[in-house]
Amino acid sequence: MTAPVITESTPEPANVLRRSRVSRDRTRVLGVVGGVIVLVLVTVAVLAPVLAPYDPTERAGVPFSPPSADHLLGTNDVGQDLLSELIYGTRVSLTVGIVAAAAAMVIGTIVGLIGGYLPRLGAVAMRGVDVVLILPFLPLLIVLAAYLGRSIVNTVIIIAILIWAPTARVIRSQVLSLAKRDYIVAARSMGAGHGYVIWRHVLPKTLLLAIGEFVAATSGAILLESSLSFLGLGDPLQESWGSTLYWAQARGAFLTPAWKWWVLPPGLLIMLSALGFALLGYALEQRINPRLRRS
Amino acid sequence: MFVRRITRAAAPVLGLAAVLVLGACGSDGGTEDTGSSGDSGSSGAATAETLRIGIMSEEGNLTPHTYATGFPGLNLTMLSYDSLMQIDENGEPQPWLAETVEGSADGLTYTLGLADGVTWHDGEPLTAEDVTFSVDYYKAGPPGRFATAMGNVSQAVAQDESTVVLTLATPDPSFQIRVLADVPILPQHIWSGIADPDLAPFDETTNVGSGPYRLVESDPGVSYSFEAYPEYFRGEPKVDELVVVQFADEAGATAALRSGEIDTMMRSISPEQIDVLRGTGTLDVIEAPEYTTTLLVFNTAVPPFDQAEFRQAVALAVDRQRLVDDVFLGAAVVGNAGWVHPDSPWYVDSVETVYDPEAAAELLDEIGLTDSDSDGVRELGGAPLSFELLVASNNALRMRLAELIGEQLAEVGIDVEVSSVEMQTLDDAVWPGYDVNLGRNYDMAMWGWSAPSQADIGQMASLVASDPAIGNLNVTGYSDPETDALAVQLDTELDPAARQQVANQLQQRIAEEVPFVSLLHPNGAYGYNPDVFGDWVSITGTGPMTKLSFIPDDGQP
Repeated sequence: MTAPVITESTPEPANVLRRSRVSRDRTRVLGVVGGVIVLVLVTVAVLAPVLAPYDPTERAGVPFSPPSADHLLGTNDVGQDLLSELIYGTRVSLTVGIVAAAAAMVIGTIVGLIGGYLPRLGAVAMRGVDVVLILPFLPLLIVLAAYLGRSIVNTVIIIAILIWAPTARVIRSQVLSLAKRDYIVAARSMGAGHGYVIWRHVLPKTLLLAIGEFVAATSGAILLESSLSFLGLGDPLQESWGSTLYWAQARGAFLTPAWKWWVLPPGLLIMLSALGFALLGYALEQRINPRLRRS
Repeated sequence: MFVRRITRAAAPVLGLAAVLVLGACGSDGGTEDTGSSGDSGSSGAATAETLRIGIMSEEGNLTPHTYATGFPGLNLTMLSYDSLMQIDENGEPQPWLAETVEGSADGLTYTLGLADGVTWHDGEPLTAEDVTFSVDYYKAGPPGRFATAMGNVSQAVAQDESTVVLTLATPDPSFQIRVLADVPILPQHIWSGIADPDLAPFDETTNVGSGPYRLVESDPGVSYSFEAYPEYFRGEPKVDELVVVQFADEAGATAALRSGEIDTMMRSISPEQIDVLRGTGTLDVIEAPEYTTTLLVFNTAVPPFDQAEFRQAVALAVDRQRLVDDVFLGAAVVGNAGWVHPDSPWYVDSVETVYDPEAAAELLDEIGLTDSDSDGVRELGGAPLSFELLVASNNALRMRLAELIGEQLAEVGIDVEVSSVEMQTLDDAVWPGYDVNLGRNYDMAMWGWSAPSQADIGQMASLVASDPAIGNLNVTGYSDPETDALAVQLDTELDPAARQQVANQLQQRIAEEVPFVSLLHPNGAYGYNPDVFGDWVSITGTGPMTKLSFIPDDGQP
């Protein structure tokens, strides 16, 4: 989790307040907390078949039963074990979140590189970024989901389409500053092509930044996946946390005592995972992002 | 959000409640929670001053030409309009506006004698002229939902003030239930001035019918108020005022019902809510079997669904009782292999509905669909026997049914992939353009027909006949000469006993040939507050949410 410190010094405005050591330590603590949460969730996802007491598709008990020794979180509307469903749901939610964020990172990095390195084309690309940034988020998400249809692949695509723009901006500003560095100007003047410069010098120096953005974006992607699934716009037959909530809503758990074991746990898990990735992303960003990195 | 809607709807309630108190001083039927003070009498469940009803759909103007949904839209519309005949508690058409209905022996002429003393809400008498006008308006006027029903009526003549003779183009054994008991009669003196009902501004002066209730306040999308019509020819309605409030969804309406903001809902509640509502102590649930069907349909034109043995195997592999128990928590009736609901007078109990996965597996083996590579899935010509099962994503219960059916079919070696799609996508795949002539593009789908498809036995022909003129609901593309012959007979046989015979044979044939799998019929379950009103009259297969519930005992058909 420790990121190597970028070696070359970024020109900083002189009047910037230097951060105290305490604040840096706090950042580190938050990062560790986030890291632990993420690590636990990933472990649960990987070990789901071992941890889950039942197959989540198996109708293991009486429908709508409250928590008992057999079913620690009770059962859902067709008698599937809710705890197992949540454990397996970790897989779907994390996978969708991570894949969508990774796709967004790839798109964002490419657009950011073009935007920063090739001024003409870049200007056009950055107007595209502006358009994506000003689009009303949730309505667009719902329209896209309804239009493309329900499947887990579409969910990933939709989320990626909507969250790549901030990454592109951050990458672009880094590339803009890199492209004016002496050694790159020197390489260019010695006849190095654009492709070579980008591949050899620019990309390596922006990747770290992109990874930080990626971790932060995962948090958003998990939240989006949950909202889509909860609204019934994801694939309700995939067992993600959001779809557990969708079924809770569809079968009236919000109006009955069942909310305590059917609504609360997936809600907390969604919150926890979003928090974990957000904290980790924040800590990484503090270390990596030249605009935020102090001292 | 619904709080605001209640508030807006409450204004007319307050005004009307005041009027009612003045008009009905000392009346003991009443509710204490209309929001107005001082008029709380002892609560009588058989009558009420105000009944507040929640709906969950946008209904537009409630007229016979502009209502939006079959249920509750048409049921609400029929509170203020009447048809010539009326369905009774058993689902049989009985004389209504027409006191006498005489059909000729050849089934081509119907002579209707109208009841005396029927008046429109504005005091004008209802005459034979209104009936002939309505027939002509539905036939020749702006296109509407009743144009099809009227298509077969070639002529309507008013013999005198209260006698109408209808002439049919072809005999129709279902004419009474399909047309006379369905089509609302319009007031000529109002509707002769309405050229385009979709654009006409309907208000208090034009919302005139002959039904038990008069629509006095109409705010589509928000609320409607109905006031009892005291001069109603079948007696004064049991509830003085009906306030219909629209909610965004079932959860909101259920919450409002529990908190006492509304007294009942025109929407069947989901099975898991039945015990919850009963457990509140203040609410009760009226539960009744309904004719609404839930089907598993398949495209019988594509192999292997073109083989009756394969379809039989699918039907044998589906455990309908399990579906009823697990998804509907028992609040449904197991579907009958011969299509007809067990409560219907047309049901024959000799048609058996069997669950036997072993027999299903044997059948599949016999027709050469075997699992040659032992991966648990049978093969058809080398390719695994795998199908996509489409289900509408807005129907949570049907999605669960689809999942369970997928598991059950997997046990006999048929692989099913459940895909939840938009309702429109499903319609486009199964019933494109709502016209079976346009073909179909699916393997398997979860489907359903509304209650009228069972209430009128003639509709059974429309499900299976290969001729689109008769088989206009044949979404499985099913074609079989013997079934066709029975369908034609069912559609034309006028003699009731002979028709019963044909209906029995057709049920038997459907059970053998499996053009679709009738899975189950969800029971209707309506929550209500018995302290406010509880004297519901339920129609077999259709439920209690019709005007019959508000018509006094001596006025029932």
